[in-house]
Amino acid sequence: MNGHPLLEARELTVRFGGLTAVDAVSAAFAPAELVGIIGPNGAGKTTFFNALSGVVVPTSGELFASGRRLTGARPHRYAQQGIARTFQTPRVFAELSVGANIDFGLQFAGRRRPATGLLKDEASILQLIGLAAQRALPAAAITPSQQRLLEIGMALATRPKLLLLDEVAAGLTENEVEAMAQLIRRLRDELELTVIWIEHAVTTLMRHVERVIVLHQGRKIADGLPSEVVRNAEVVEAYLGDEMAEAA
Amino acid sequence: MKRDLVVLFGLAGWALALPHYGSEFVVSLGLSCLMYATLSSSWSLFCGSTRYLSLATSAFFGIGAYTGALVLGQLPWLAAIALGGAIAASVAVVMGLAVLHLRGTYFAVLTFGMTELIRHAISYWEKQVTGTVGRVLSVVPERDTVYLTMLVLAVTAVLVSIALRRSRFGLAMAGIGADEQRAQTLGVNTRLVKVGGFALTAAFAGAVGAVMSVRWTYIDPATVFNPFIGFQTVLIALIGGAATLWGPLIAAVVFSLLAETLRLQLPQVYMMALGLLLIVCVLYLPGGLASLRWPAIGGWRKR
Repeated sequence: MNGHPLLEARELTVRFGGLTAVDAVSAAFAPAELVGIIGPNGAGKTTFFNALSGVVVPTSGELFASGRRLTGARPHRYAQQGIARTFQTPRVFAELSVGANIDFGLQFAGRRRPATGLLKDEASILQLIGLAAQRALPAAAITPSQQRLLEIGMALATRPKLLLLDEVAAGLTENEVEAMAQLIRRLRDELELTVIWIEHAVTTLMRHVERVIVLHQGRKIADGLPSEVVRNAEVVEAYLGDEMAEAA
Repeated sequence: MKRDLVVLFGLAGWALALPHYGSEFVVSLGLSCLMYATLSSSWSLFCGSTRYLSLATSAFFGIGAYTGALVLGQLPWLAAIALGGAIAASVAVVMGLAVLHLRGTYFAVLTFGMTELIRHAISYWEKQVTGTVGRVLSVVPERDTVYLTMLVLAVTAVLVSIALRRSRFGLAMAGIGADEQRAQTLGVNTRLVKVGGFALTAAFAGAVGAVMSVRWTYIDPATVFNPFIGFQTVLIALIGGAATLWGPLIAAVVFSLLAETLRLQLPQVYMMALGLLLIVCVLYLPGGLASLRWPAIGGWRKR
């Protein structure tokens, strides 16, 4: 691992016109870490993800993947470097079958990586996300919660080292959220994947992650163990209040 | 796949026999069908799957025609055609790098604008530097050679479309058409794929232009860069169904026949019919005529 973090952001800033969506955020992510990112609406969580996955070019600051500079590269390079992501609203290829949606990632970024274990092929990935029975259905025909799973499966098909999950539990029932969390832990435990997980529902997230980063108005105001972060005065004052204390 | 190949070679065999028993008029009609079949099939293989609506077909056609006219004296027939395709493709690479980051209407309008720019640039060059308005091609191959070449181009265009459907390149283009950014985040080098696909389309249009220049024997910028060639290609592909293999081909034959028969007697009627059909297709049949299937019609009748 040549001593470098898997992914490192240094003073990452993204501006849209006069609005600073992400304000000089630095963070490093180690292999097999399960990190949560929380923050109120408009805190810059998704923009931060967009910058980490190359979808948005940062206004300033640098990004490194295993010590290699990635700033300004186009998104497919990030995918080739093992950084995969999901989108908040699932962006599956509606007209393709569920199986073909998985196959897409395998054909591109996933092609150059070793095909082993849980990510061996289309069938094993479908098994992992629990959509084996839906393989032949068009992606438009499965339920929204299944589409969320498929979205994760598509990202996994790139055989990543790091997975960015953007509100994958939003709109799911309690049981589905629990199943999703189990899946995410399994990805980390069995694939040794680094997972960075944004979720609006703080309580859910806090139960499952080992480290949490708090964004507020584009700035990082806390970064640490969930139990520490909930006691951080700035975090509590900024927005969390009682909800967070209860979660801890 | 197998069935597609059988159909293709069946059609090609029939087209191959045409010059032996057809009259001069029939052969000329056949050539026109083949020309639009090649243009709309090759247009669809990029524009149909990526949904980048290019109006630059006339530019590539005209570039190919001029290349053919300029080099035919010095180069053999097939080399002249290949060069026409190659130069059109190189122009497409430059144009693609400049405009393929734009989507939708912006892309369509800019490709059209660049076509006009190229046409005016060549007119200017011919008038100011060469001192001519048009060019006469004195050494031209026989009618059957021209016809056969166009047939080979049409078959190649369909074969390439069939092959692309099963390739990673074709999958990448379909991904771009469905959700370009998602395809990127899954590892597709979208710029490379788009420029490559655009150049491939242009190579066919350029080769077709080179073939047609000898058929016409006299060319000037207004005829070979005629925007109507590009529009008609797009209309045929959209009406036939740009995402399908056979839609553009069938529509090309139907419309070439319609054009040749109606244009002479009732030119306005033909244009109006084309426009009306386009509107109907876009509104009620976005997949084109090829998306009409018997079960769909049956289901519709039951309602």
